[in-house]
Order: sequence, then structure tokens, then C-alpha cells
Amino acid sequence: MNAEAGLTRVIHEVRELDLGERTSYSAGRLTVGDESVRDLLRGPALAEVRLACAAPGDSVRIVGALDAIQPCSKGPGGGGVFPGLLGPALPAGRGETHVLRGTAVLAAGYLPRAQEAVIDMSGPAAPLSPLSATHNLVVDFTPADDAAWDDVEAALRRGLVRVAAHLAEAALDAAPDAVEELPEPGSTSSDRPRVGVVLNLQTQGKFKDVFVYGRSLSGGLPTVIAPGELDDGVVVSGQYGHPALKNPTYLQQTHPVVAALRGCDELELAALVLCPEPVDQANKELVSAHAARLCAGLGLDAAIVTKEGGGNADADVSLKLDRLEEEGITAVGILAEMAGRDGTGPPLVVPPTKATALVSTGNYDERMTLPAVEQALGRERIALLDQASTDEVELPVAAIYCAQSTLGWGRLTCAETG
Amino acid sequence: MRIVHYVNQFFAGIGGEDAAGTGPELRDGALGPGRRLAAVLGDEHEIVATAVCGDDYAASHPEFAAELVASARDRGAELVVAGPAFTSGRYGMACARIAVAASEAGLPALAAMHPENPGLGEAAGTAVVESGATSRQMRDSLDRLAAATRKVAAGEQLTAEDGRIGPVARTNRLADRSAAERAVALVLTRLGGDRDATEIPLPDFDRVTPAAPVADITEAVVALVTEGGFVPAGNPDRLESARASKWVRYSLDGLDSAESGTFESVHGGFSTQWANADPNRILPLDVARELEREGAIGGLHGEFLATTGNGTTVADARRFGMEWAAELRQQNIQAAILTAT
Repeated sequence: MNAEAGLTRVIHEVRELDLGERTSYSAGRLTVGDESVRDLLRGPALAEVRLACAAPGDSVRIVGALDAIQPCSKGPGGGGVFPGLLGPALPAGRGETHVLRGTAVLAAGYLPRAQEAVIDMSGPAAPLSPLSATHNLVVDFTPADDAAWDDVEAALRRGLVRVAAHLAEAALDAAPDAVEELPEPGSTSSDRPRVGVVLNLQTQGKFKDVFVYGRSLSGGLPTVIAPGELDDGVVVSGQYGHPALKNPTYLQQTHPVVAALRGCDELELAALVLCPEPVDQANKELVSAHAARLCAGLGLDAAIVTKEGGGNADADVSLKLDRLEEEGITAVGILAEMAGRDGTGPPLVVPPTKATALVSTGNYDERMTLPAVEQALGRERIALLDQASTDEVELPVAAIYCAQSTLGWGRLTCAETG
Repeated sequence: MRIVHYVNQFFAGIGGEDAAGTGPELRDGALGPGRRLAAVLGDEHEIVATAVCGDDYAASHPEFAAELVASARDRGAELVVAGPAFTSGRYGMACARIAVAASEAGLPALAAMHPENPGLGEAAGTAVVESGATSRQMRDSLDRLAAATRKVAAGEQLTAEDGRIGPVARTNRLADRSAAERAVALVLTRLGGDRDATEIPLPDFDRVTPAAPVADITEAVVALVTEGGFVPAGNPDRLESARASKWVRYSLDGLDSAESGTFESVHGGFSTQWANADPNRILPLDVARELEREGAIGGLHGEFLATTGNGTTVADARRFGMEWAAELRQQNIQAAILTAT
């Protein structure tokens, strides 16, 4: 047992964001050096990048939101955060990490297989998205003429983490708003029930993959990492489908279930288990059984299971819940409902058979009307509706970025109409 | 009240599966189970006509319901009653569609079927009362339907006590706490010994009994169907890449192979690069034609049916399945190969 193991999170709140000549942070105001940030994003696959700011409450709609990242830094030069992508793939999650809280770097535009995701910074959809509540640096781009889409995506992913580290570096010498000590599981002893977080990562190939230390979990078995590794950006999203069910890097870094367990006096956050979401049933079963055995080996009393993606990913949660219960581990799943427009259809594609403790993040087919806005960022038209992005639009909840993320940020749920 | 009663081809006495393709029509007075329903209802109500349609026709032509309801209105109907459909899926779907169409036309309506009838999912918010599982329970089923009909005729709402069944709508709302906090609270509740607490009641799924094996595949006409988002290049009918609300059909006449540039996959759930390089990977037309030439199968159906299985609701998927089955039966297809992605 390493009593020193853990992460110190140094928090700098961002309450204002603007573009300027050079990047600086002071007293809650983050100024983004326009040219230096565009330099960080420069590469052969991107012909041009444009920057804009969007603040909570603005009459702004971001269309085609891709990944979003919380700025963080472990020191000058950016080493240690986003390992495997920004620097060498060395274990992270210990020491001190400076975090800019209340802000995100967000890419928006077209990528293949990216279903159109919408963020409204104000209005009825704003309470549904974590990225409606942050001061966003929105990166919009034009691919180079001859660039392959894979290269465009890789350039964006690398560029965003570079920018995220660069922005947080500006706050390294600033007085923090808070300093949070986050002990590693196993570094302290308690007699509280031991609860694990089982984090299913989508592994469906190009544009639908999630990277751990820069590599896909596709084809692999479950593995255990420390929750603090998430804070340091060990898990980076390259998954652009399922807007409402998306788990962007931002939500991995700030994992709401991890945060809720860290804040719970009655339970101990004991382990974080990462799992791929295989595309075939036999491997879904293997990974699920293996994850349950890992949890049993870790001596867990309970586990909370989350997913990324639509229908088939229900199976990855349900199978794990069933296998966990068979191992004698109390299992709770967080799932979105797919109950049709009127909410009368069966809510789950693949329900569990033994475990029945489920938390709902709402019905993804229910529609909502988003009022017209003054400005659109990302894409000028919503292709799904063939309407201007600034128009009043009617969309299913499924299109609202992260509205139903099973990492559990949102308050959206579903209940019988009474 | 003037009632129009809906039954399928079998209960109208037209015929069994051989007559399942019969189109919609209105016949005078009560027929089959409608006669007993009329007797139980007594003098206050009159079944002025019976609406009839074959189960396959109804499943593959959803517009039959609006047509029959329009005819019923012309006949002065004030109330529409459908079934009982017991556990028959296509009949149940037809009854549900008739009741929904009548409600949409402003007529009070109700249907009767067994709670496990897959057609129940089509009823949306329209009233459905429970029937037995088979026509052996016709008598009790009609008694319950008659009682419920009187109540609906009186303008009252049906409740579980009247045998009302069917989907209950679940709607979105904001909880006081985040899903993560609720999940942690649910762990505590469960560890505290409550084994029932949940936010999502588990859905009941019907089990499908596989059809009997094809007796002689060298005599059978085989259809190719797919959920692979497979369409002619350019996607002329704009099949959705996710959350499909419909299915499409296209001719295979004169085609030996699904060539790149002629067909494509618009599926949003996987990379379509390899599917589009050789569309036979999604719809194996090249191999199917070889088998046809060799005489290994009796023949290949002249068109394929396709939808996109990506984020599709179970209710929609079930509807597509029933419509495809009816469509293929009407065309005398004995077997179908469904390529899944």
C-alpha cells in the first residue's frame, strides 16, 4: 500500500473567456492567444482553423459538436497530461494537476460517421448539456484538399489536447480557487462498502473509438486504472456518433460517477475498470464475465456500470450487470431509454435478466423544440433537418450533445406520465 | 350507439392464411364474433357494419385502417370496436391500427387482444382491453369487450379494472439530482436490502417461435432482406442512417451482383468503407444468383427489403418485422435471408 499515492487537483475557475494576442489567465479570466492556439492546431491535414467563444447564456447554437476537453496541465511544456497522445505513454494520475474548471476546448464541424450534435448555450436545451454550462473555445476547421478523413480526425484530436494543455499552463502560477486531495484506491483503509466504476468504452473502429494512453481497447480485455488517471486525460475520445449518448473527453476527465463516489461518505471508491464494447456477442459475453471476475478479485461490494453508444451497447451493460450479480456484487446500471417518440415502446434494446437496478437518463426519441438563436457555430445548416442552424428547430433529445451520457452528468430522466 | 366492428379474414369467415391477402371492405351487420358481441351489448347499441381485412394485407398496407374508418364514418359509425385478436400478431397490429385511426378521426374506439400480442405496441394511447390467449376464451373475452364498449360509449375512461392493457407513456423530466448521484443513492438503497428499487421497469419481450424448416429449399423462392442501410447509390428515398422510421424495397430484376456505384450502405453504425467497396458484402446478391443458377434454391425474389438497424426502437423494429413477414408471405416467398450488420 502506497500511502502517498494520489492526485492533487489544483483548481482555477474560469468565469470569463475571450480571444486576445497572447494566452493568459488571471482572476477567473482566460484570454486565448488567437494566433498561438491556431499554431498549435496547424498541420498538413487542416487547411484552416477558426476560433470563437461561446458562454453560458449566449444566444448561440453549436452544431456538429465533436470532442470537448477540459484544460489541464502538470507543468510547463505540457508533459504528463494526455499521455500517449501529447507525450510518451507513461502512467499518469499522481502528483499535481492544474485544472481550468468551467471551460472547455470544443471542436465542431463535419467528420465521417459523426452524427450531428447540437449544443444550445441558452434556452430549453441548455440544462441538458454539460457543455452548455462551460465557457467554450470553439474550434472550427477546413480540412486540407487532399487530406484523408482519418488524418483530419487525428490532427484535431492531437490539436485539441495541445490547446487544452497550453491554456492550463497559463494558470500554473496563479493562486488556486481550490486544492483537492484525491487519494488513490487502496492508499487508505476503511470499512465502508467498496464500490467500483465499470466504464465501457466504445470500440467500433474509425471515428467511433476511444483511446486509452493513445491506443484503442478494441480486441482487448478489461483493465483496471486509478480514477486519477482520468483526471490527467488518460482516456481521450475519438467517438463522434450518438450525440446524446456521447462521453467526450471532458466527461471522462470529470467523470460524474467517480465524482459522486469521491463525495460520498458512506461508500468507498475502490476501483475503476475500463472495458471495450466488442461488436460481437461472444466477445461481449467474454468481456462482461471477465470484468465481473476482476471486480470480484478486487473485493467489490457493488459496481456502477456505464456505456457509450446506442442499442447494442445496452448489451454491454446488461451482460455485466448480470455477471456481477452472479458474483454476488450489487450492480447498478445507468442507461438511456429508447422508447419511441411517444414513450410507449420498450425502453431498452437488451435488458438485464438478473440485475434490475437501473438509472434512466431519459428517452432519446422524445422531441423538443429549440427556439431560434442569434448565432451558430460549427456548421451553418443542420443537415438532418435541412434547416439553417439558427432557425427554430424540432429535434429528438438524441441530437442534444451529452444530454443522456450515462457517465451521469445530467438530471434528465423518464417516468410514467401520471 | 352505431358501432362498426373490425375482424380479420378468418373471423369474417372468408378463409384462413390462404385468404390473408384479402383487401379491406365493409360488410353489413355483425359477422362471426360480432354476432355474439351484439347480443351481449343488447338493444342500446347496434353493430351496423363489420369492417374486414386480411391480416397480411393489413400488415403490409398501413393505410387500410384510415380507409376502413372513412367507410365506417360514411356508414354513420359513432364507435369503432376491433377484435378480440388473442395472441395473433398481425391481427393484433391491425386491430390496434384501426383503433388508432378511429381515434385520430375523432371516433371513440377500443380494441381487444392478449397482453402478449406484439400488436399492442402499435396502440399508442388508444384503449385496448385484455382478451384470452386463444379463441377458446372467446366467450369471456367478448363479455369483457362488451362491458368496456358500454363504458367507452358512455364517454368514460377505461382503467385496469376494466381490463385495460397497453403501453404506458414514459416522458422526460428533470430529476432533482444528477444520474451519477442517483446511481450512488441506488447502490446504497440496494446494499440496504431493497432488491426492487429501479428507475426503469424491465420490459417484457415476446419470444418468437421459429418457423418450421423449409421442406425443399430447391423448390423455395428465397428473399434477401437486410438491416444494413442498403440502398441504390444516392439513397433516392432517403432511408435514415440511424433511428430509421421506415423500410424500403427495390428491384433486383436483371442484376447479377450488387456492384459498387450501383448500391451503397447508408448505415451510420459502422464504417461503410468496405461495404461500399463491394456491396455484395451487405446483400449477398452475387452468391444468391449463383445458387439460383445451380438450382440450389428454387429462385430468388425479385426485390429486396431493407432498413437501417442502428438506434432503432424495439417498437419500430417489431413493426418492420411484422410488415416484412406479411409482405413476403403475400408474395409466396418461403424463406428469407436477413443479413445483419
